[in-house]
Amino acid sequence: MLANFDFDVIRRSLSYLFIDGMTFTLTLTALSATGGLIFGTLIALMRLSGYRVMGWIAGLYVDFMRSLPLVLVIFWFYFLVPYIGQWLTGSSRPIKVGAFASSLITFIMFEAAYFSEIMRAGIQSISRGQPAAASALGLTYAQTMRYVVLPQAFRNMLPVLLTQTIVLFQDTSLVYVLSIPDFLGAASKVAQRDGRLVEMYLFAAVVYFTISCIASYGVRRLQSRIAIIR
Amino acid sequence: MIEISHVNKWYSPTFQVLKDCTTSVAKGEVVVVCGPSGSGKSTLIKCVNALEPFQDGTITIDGLKVNDPKTNLPKLRSRVGMVFQHFELFPHLTIIENLRLAQQKVLGRGQEEATAKGMKLLERVGLKEQAQKFPAQLSGGQQQRVAIARALAMDPIAMLFDEPTSALDPEMISEVLDVMVDLAREGMTMMVVTHEMGFAKKVAHRVIFMDRGEIVEDAKKEEFFGQPRSDRAQQFLSKILSH
Repeated sequence: MLANFDFDVIRRSLSYLFIDGMTFTLTLTALSATGGLIFGTLIALMRLSGYRVMGWIAGLYVDFMRSLPLVLVIFWFYFLVPYIGQWLTGSSRPIKVGAFASSLITFIMFEAAYFSEIMRAGIQSISRGQPAAASALGLTYAQTMRYVVLPQAFRNMLPVLLTQTIVLFQDTSLVYVLSIPDFLGAASKVAQRDGRLVEMYLFAAVVYFTISCIASYGVRRLQSRIAIIR
Repeated sequence: MIEISHVNKWYSPTFQVLKDCTTSVAKGEVVVVCGPSGSGKSTLIKCVNALEPFQDGTITIDGLKVNDPKTNLPKLRSRVGMVFQHFELFPHLTIIENLRLAQQKVLGRGQEEATAKGMKLLERVGLKEQAQKFPAQLSGGQQQRVAIARALAMDPIAMLFDEPTSALDPEMISEVLDVMVDLAREGMTMMVVTHEMGFAKKVAHRVIFMDRGEIVEDAKKEEFFGQPRSDRAQQFLSKILSH
């Protein structure tokens, strides 16, 4: 059976798969994770602020994002953002947003909802004595968060944040619906061009599996190292 | 220095934790607050620097009203040192970073000045060698001494202690009390919630006895240990001094 396989198609397309496809995937993952963490932290702070309206808005946002299938959001965003842009700027034509920018915004917004729940748990895991001690020293609320609470929350939650990032790395393959050449998209293009579907999808699976596995192992090692320090 | 006047605090409409508390701490005075668990003594001391809000009454520190919305609370708190039962050192920072943080971010001191000040205070509490370690690497007694040094680094006009030795193993209590006794003898204004009656006998000027949210007794040390006027204080003392 293997005799019918043409594994050379992989070798021939390696540079396209990795230099174009994987670079896109990793860039999208890294930027989405960073943006998601920043916005997620802000949303978590809003939820924990004690101001009812802010908490309510943040809660609604998180519930909304988590109740929609990611692929639907990606799709909607790609087609909606140009019109929202048009409406916001009052221009006569839909604003052109590249596929990359559109998918980046989508992932940041989507991941913000997940990261905010992780950061919220992280902030709540800090004993109340810590912010009390910080305020007693004269630090303002913002300084208390910036220098005392968030660094600890981030450190406590780092393994969970990284695990979520690995999930994100796999989820970025959904930009496939916008026919963007991320790693999976590139593999699929080659597969269809050369009629080598089995080989290419098999290879893509192996690559995703290997990277995710190594990353998970790294997270586990990090976790045990952090556990010793504390 | 610290004026507490008719302070009332409720946790819920039916549960009053502080009932009409009135007392004061003069400059250079050491006041010990004692009483059974749940008597409101920790709550009262936390009200002094507004870590706990209260509904009624006033507290002023050095003429500034704590419960006035116009008061710059962070600034006021930076001038009053506080030491907690569970030390509350920042575990992600080294000892010297713990001492530097508020000096730099609140008082605007430079890194060098803050380090110098921090090292001087660590030397004073006998922990200069531990400067680069993390809090978790120190014993409870050492951590509490660092916490005192951290508060002193802000050059406070008064110090509040909320049961500073209750979370410590017995053999570590004296190393913390020694630091506090030195501080008291140097004329620091101190309000100390504690069960350490030996400390009270040694350096306190006045002793306040609280029970069920009320200040039951507020007397000079000699009077309090000689013959407390209230039955409740007598009972309390006989229980904790009998061993």
